[in-house]
Amino acid sequence: MQQHRPSPVISQGPNQSESRGSRWLRPKKGRPEAKPGSVTGAARAGQRSRRRRLSLRAALAVISGRAAGALSRRLRLGGGTSIVGLVAQRLYPDIIRHLAAQLEHGSVLVTGTNGKTTTSGFLAAILRDAGLRVWRNREGANLLRGVAGALVVRALPSGNLRRAGQAISVFEIDEAVMPQAVRLLEPRAAVFINLFRDQLDRYGEVESVAALWRQMVKGLPETTTLVLNADDPTTASLGELARGPVLYFGLEDLTLDLSGQDGQGTAGTYQAVDSRSCVRCGSDYRYSARFYSHMGHYQCPHCGLERPAPTVRALQVRQDTFDRLRVTVETPTQLGEIVIPLPGLYNVYNALAAIAVAQALGISWEPIVSGIEQFKPAFGRGERVQVAGRTLRLLLAKNPTGLNEVLRTLFSEGTPRHMLFVLNDNIADGRDVSWIWDVDFERAQGLTASLTVAGTRAFDLALRLKYAGFAPEEMTIIPSTPLRALEELIGSQPRGRKGRGRGRARHQQQQPDAVAAKTSTKVSPAAEEGAASPQERATPFPGYGLATALERAIEQTPVGETLFIVPTYTGLLELHRELERRGLTPHYWEGRD
Amino acid sequence: MTNEQGKDTRLVLRIGHLYPQLMSVAADRGNLFAIVKRCKWRGIKTAIDQIFVKQTPDFTQYDLILFHGGADREMEVAARDLQAKAPSLREAAEANTVFLAVCAGYQLLGHSYKPFEGPELKGVGILDLHTEGGSTRFMTHIAIECEFPECGKQVLVGYENHSGRTYLGPGAQPLGRVLAGWGNNGKDGYEGAVYKNVFGTYLHGPVLPKNPWFTDLLITRALARRYGQVELPPLDDSTEQEAHAAAFKLAMAFKGTVSAIDATPWRERLSPGSASRSL
Repeated sequence: MQQHRPSPVISQGPNQSESRGSRWLRPKKGRPEAKPGSVTGAARAGQRSRRRRLSLRAALAVISGRAAGALSRRLRLGGGTSIVGLVAQRLYPDIIRHLAAQLEHGSVLVTGTNGKTTTSGFLAAILRDAGLRVWRNREGANLLRGVAGALVVRALPSGNLRRAGQAISVFEIDEAVMPQAVRLLEPRAAVFINLFRDQLDRYGEVESVAALWRQMVKGLPETTTLVLNADDPTTASLGELARGPVLYFGLEDLTLDLSGQDGQGTAGTYQAVDSRSCVRCGSDYRYSARFYSHMGHYQCPHCGLERPAPTVRALQVRQDTFDRLRVTVETPTQLGEIVIPLPGLYNVYNALAAIAVAQALGISWEPIVSGIEQFKPAFGRGERVQVAGRTLRLLLAKNPTGLNEVLRTLFSEGTPRHMLFVLNDNIADGRDVSWIWDVDFERAQGLTASLTVAGTRAFDLALRLKYAGFAPEEMTIIPSTPLRALEELIGSQPRGRKGRGRGRARHQQQQPDAVAAKTSTKVSPAAEEGAASPQERATPFPGYGLATALERAIEQTPVGETLFIVPTYTGLLELHRELERRGLTPHYWEGRD
Repeated sequence: MTNEQGKDTRLVLRIGHLYPQLMSVAADRGNLFAIVKRCKWRGIKTAIDQIFVKQTPDFTQYDLILFHGGADREMEVAARDLQAKAPSLREAAEANTVFLAVCAGYQLLGHSYKPFEGPELKGVGILDLHTEGGSTRFMTHIAIECEFPECGKQVLVGYENHSGRTYLGPGAQPLGRVLAGWGNNGKDGYEGAVYKNVFGTYLHGPVLPKNPWFTDLLITRALARRYGQVELPPLDDSTEQEAHAAAFKLAMAFKGTVSAIDATPWRERLSPGSASRSL
């Protein structure tokens, strides 16, 4: 089916006009340049004035973008890197190409459904330890405007990058944005970590992203090294199409095989597996080992397509403690042990991907080891926060495979855990939350020492848990205010959409609030307060649900114990803001990079 | 409480789950969970057969058959395989076996599915309807109003995500009237189809957990085939009702939007972080 993405607010700009002018802006050796011999003197003069014009334009874009960012921060509208990029791109659609061309060591792009942030984090740490200046886009700002923003904030008012020497950029890129990103940045390496089902209501189908990737890989320059996950059939199959070098990474430790063990979910129903049939002939793959979802050692019984032999391999994975994985890694030049300071098998893949890129870039072994072993997880990727004598650990989970792996990591040893789940359905999470029914919450049943359920779709999650065998009485359900969706439509109609659905929404708002009234399970008093009468709830909401949920979850966790918080993406941002309000984490736009 | 089993009624519901792996795109396995749990809580046993490609069981042995959604590629595989199963499936439908078919499964119970691009797929022909691929995709919250003799007027809530436009022939009744969302084709105001005990719908969500009245209707009708009229004891459905009410509100709030994501205000789209401020 046709690929479906919401047209991002500012997507018109960059693509159409990017080809013009770009080739004049390539000072770097080894890159295609306009042939000087073919231009006449007049043309050359025209060229010069054109270049001047473009520099001016870049300068204008940089100045305006940064001013917009400063204003946005001032007005507390948000972190501001996206707005910086957005404004800069508006004024100069080719700003990304213009600035990125100045990076001495070029760019690396990281994409995939899960693990983009952690993989680019590992890689950035390795490259820094190798003495490079590493620039990244802010986590989650992985559309083009985020990339533009990351470059513009490091540019001078002259339109040139500050300290571009020794600099390399590592950008995490949204799966669907890869084609444009690759064209603008001509990366030295492009990393594809995995492809899982994620936000069907945003991307359409998994296959549509795969098709997009295939198309893009065919057009990659020979100078780009592809780094692919050998264990993920769709991702690995991109290697066949590449014109440049390809590096595969994968797991070789067969003791991690799950087939027959818990490859199937409860009641003989199937776990989320998002890529089952051969990319070449459509037959079902046969797995000799399966690590999770569709990751493993596969072969097509019909056409013989099989997992490529990885060049960067994890021979053995042992778990020292919950978040210390001891991995024996073999590359064409090295064999050594690396300790990954994060929980979950998925982080082994993330580390392998980073190691593979580092090898492709010619980085030596020491910075690879130190970069990974001393890695500080990004917010929400296993980071630890101390609150009132308890430890909070945040584990982002935004799709079925991600959440299944988090649950496996948390509950495979049978240790009871204190849990807070946050299920949101904001745009970045996806409006459709049906995916929670593909998550095997059954695994956690009987193993929660305390259980709090929150978020804009808390009731949906509570229902899922009920059918996974949790008694409603053992859950503390703290929804965000039930009329949220209406507030959005009334409060901030996009321009040009005025009137559409407005009257209806208003009409709706006057109806008594059935959800709050009928509540019979354990809903906290604060949440009921939050769900008071519609009039009181007019902007802004008095105490939204998440602060309360966090409070309740902490209360239920005895001092000295750990509360595991598993939020969706915007749930994580909300939590971050809440912890920030309590002075426990830095402002998210004051990140480390 | 939730794991408790109701007093054994000695009733067994036989379920056939068609293509449990191939056709499972939008977590529709939740429908199976809903049926199994609501039976268990009432002391009714369930026996589930998973039916894969190349298998041709006698479908008339089942009280209830589940056939869920899949992406285009999987749908092609299923359509090819389905032709061998079709005679027995039709026989089961005529013998009053209950069917719940969702999205692609629903489309394939009709006569044909013509994708927007690519060759036409032949369906089973149990439901008198055909489907054509559209150029836009309906991806939003949906609520429909249904009416059945057992339960009167009731509302079904869910999420639709389809580009197919389905048109019913005279041999099929719509499942319900669209209150919000698009339904079969976005034009005639109806959603889903019913023929005897065969129910087809575009509703994901999955549809059954949040609509316990519908789950119970399917269970009652499925049991009636071999046990006659069985009165299902009521359950505490407060969690279900809360989720239902929340989904209904969303459907009404997003009424008129083709895609719930495109309908999102600019501020939230600008940066996901700013969204939570307005919570």
